[in-house]
Amino acid sequence: MAESVSAKQVAARKGRRPGLFSSFKNEFRNKDRRLAYYMIAPVLIIILAVAVYPIVYAIYLSFQEVIPNQPSHWAGLQNYTQMFSDPIFHSALLNTAIFTVCSVALELVLGIPIALALNRAFKGRGVARAASLAPYAFPTAIWAIMWRLMFQDQVGIMQYISTKLHIFTDPILGSSGALLIAGVIVDVWKTTPFMALLILAGLQVIPRDVYEAARVDGATPWQQFWRITLPLVKPALLVAVLFRTLDAWRVYDLFWVMGSKQLNSLSTYVYTGVSVSQLDFSLGNAAAVFVFVSSLLIALVFLRGIGTRAQG
Amino acid sequence: MTKPSATYKGLSRREFLRLSGAGVASAALLQACGGFSSSSGSSSKKLIFSHGPDDSGTVKLLIDKFNKENSKGISVDWREQSADTGAYFDSLKTQFQAGGGDIDVISGDVIWPAQFGFNGWVEDLSNLFDDSMQSQFLSGPLEAVTYKGKPYAVPWFTDAGMFWYRKDLMKKNGYDPNKPPTTWEELQGMAKKIVGSGDAKYGLVFQGDQYEGGVCNGAEYIWGAGGDILDPSDPTKVVIDGSQATTGLTTERSQVTTSTAPQAVVTFEEQDCQTAYLNGSSAFMRNWPYMYGLIAGGKETGSKITPAQVGVAPLPASTPGGKGYSCLGGWNLFINAQSDKKDDAWELVKFLAGPEAAKIRALKGGFLSPLKTTYTDKAVTGKVPVLGLASSLADQIRSRPVSPFYSDLSLKMQAGFNASIKGTETPTDTVSQLQSEMQGIIDQGTS
Repeated sequence: MAESVSAKQVAARKGRRPGLFSSFKNEFRNKDRRLAYYMIAPVLIIILAVAVYPIVYAIYLSFQEVIPNQPSHWAGLQNYTQMFSDPIFHSALLNTAIFTVCSVALELVLGIPIALALNRAFKGRGVARAASLAPYAFPTAIWAIMWRLMFQDQVGIMQYISTKLHIFTDPILGSSGALLIAGVIVDVWKTTPFMALLILAGLQVIPRDVYEAARVDGATPWQQFWRITLPLVKPALLVAVLFRTLDAWRVYDLFWVMGSKQLNSLSTYVYTGVSVSQLDFSLGNAAAVFVFVSSLLIALVFLRGIGTRAQG
Repeated sequence: MTKPSATYKGLSRREFLRLSGAGVASAALLQACGGFSSSSGSSSKKLIFSHGPDDSGTVKLLIDKFNKENSKGISVDWREQSADTGAYFDSLKTQFQAGGGDIDVISGDVIWPAQFGFNGWVEDLSNLFDDSMQSQFLSGPLEAVTYKGKPYAVPWFTDAGMFWYRKDLMKKNGYDPNKPPTTWEELQGMAKKIVGSGDAKYGLVFQGDQYEGGVCNGAEYIWGAGGDILDPSDPTKVVIDGSQATTGLTTERSQVTTSTAPQAVVTFEEQDCQTAYLNGSSAFMRNWPYMYGLIAGGKETGSKITPAQVGVAPLPASTPGGKGYSCLGGWNLFINAQSDKKDDAWELVKFLAGPEAAKIRALKGGFLSPLKTTYTDKAVTGKVPVLGLASSLADQIRSRPVSPFYSDLSLKMQAGFNASIKGTETPTDTVSQLQSEMQGIIDQGTS
């Protein structure tokens, strides 16, 4: 495996040397390859039309100043400077960052043991695997309302417990800090099973004989976990963390519904600007571009990590 | 869809939205076709009326009545919209931006006329809704449909914030049950005693959440203290930083600091207040007239209290002898500017806003009519006691700022008022911040 990978890379490096344009020309001179390009052309055009064009247009719009009833005009970076100096944007960015880091970290820490447990052969494993996914099967908006009721001060069990135990006696839904913590808890409740499932998929491709060999060599279970399981499951782990990070970074429905519009995230900021407000369309658009670019950067960092791990 | 073959170069936002809206509209159209396939053989007289869900059943009743009785053979389809007013507004906005949509008559919130009128989305009704017809309506609702001197809608039903009190609890604690508190201070004293003697869990509940209802409540405190939000003589001038407005918001905040209202009131909307009140947990409540139907509903609506235990009064004032003001709510009827059946649409509007329909809506749904005649009609006032109060309140009902940028102004007020009740900002900071933010919005929009 490792050999073939490096051979391919060498080939790729060689191919790049004559310059992009001439290699392109070479590609098209080959009849079969030309045909291949013609055949994927429709798909490329569709992708350009439905994915690339709207993105480029959104970026273009984010540099325009738009006011109802007036022709829009070029505004340069004005929307971005206005956005970065908006205190609501600051709180949205901070909330999203805290939420993403905390929820993904907790999901990872809890997801690994769950995946390890589900990976063992035991009676009723199929049922346990299905049951663990139950929270993930509900639409977010629905359980966000469910949890809002549980956090509510008059009928909510969570508020009752936290008041009785003197953890937090003020109304949870009325404090933005408590609301953010509640949001993390609810997200962990919902998506840990998903994380566990992705890790489980990674665990299942680890060959059994590696463990057997380790046992013969006298490795303790703890050593087996750190030396075998973790390194081998790392690529799957990174993919799972990437999925969850991008998901958490775009959090919208959980905050909007459970926080009843009192908790800002980047996505709620975009929605408020583009859809609710009449005048902040350009600001919302700039924020949308910001979400897109920041997500892209996060994805690139992770992909780079995944790529190097796979090679090593 | 047959949509404009616009060149992409120099596409304005309006055109962009129209194009993207075309997709949404065509999706809606497909859905409509699926839903109403039986009525697909529509004649040219088919009108489309959009309105949210209606629990009272009166809307269906009125539409059936109109379909049967009108002399021109007009038939009306009711397109049911979202119960969430904000979502309804967003969907209408999208349709208007996409070129108008196919709705002829639109029922809409009391705060929409300026925004719709400013953008030219709804018909200017100056010629149809003339002075003689206007004179039949109460001044508050009429003011709310007028933008720059022109009526853009006809008031359909009206609503006003009211003060609900428990007569039995007042009597038990040594207060005259027929003398509800007239100032907030008096209320706080009574609440303290009632809660202290264990008769109620909370003194007062009101809507303090960050949403449109929170703006209504905040505005009432500001008006009650003699302040205002926009200058009534020049609606492009924000005057919220006056000392009276600060006093008003300080009073609102004091409901929480004096423990008159629970701290959770910062998350309360109508429904939360309603639950607390029907459970008997709260002695006083600020809420809309619809509560009456729920209290009278008994077990059916989950009410543990009866109408005999409850009284309704104008909202308390800031100072003795002062006036408490109620925020105007309610709905209006608009005609889509792009409708090709405006004459028929006007027939429907006249019928729905007429005295006969108002009577049906009042008796069967408890809706407050914006027509003066309804309040002198003994057949109505005798049966719906809230109506009597509403007519005496008439000059104490005020409408939220009439501005084409209302949704932006409201967003700021929602956040500001909520922060002030929570105590994360002082009322003084709130008003000075709102002053600059709101003035900025108006300047940006009118520049």
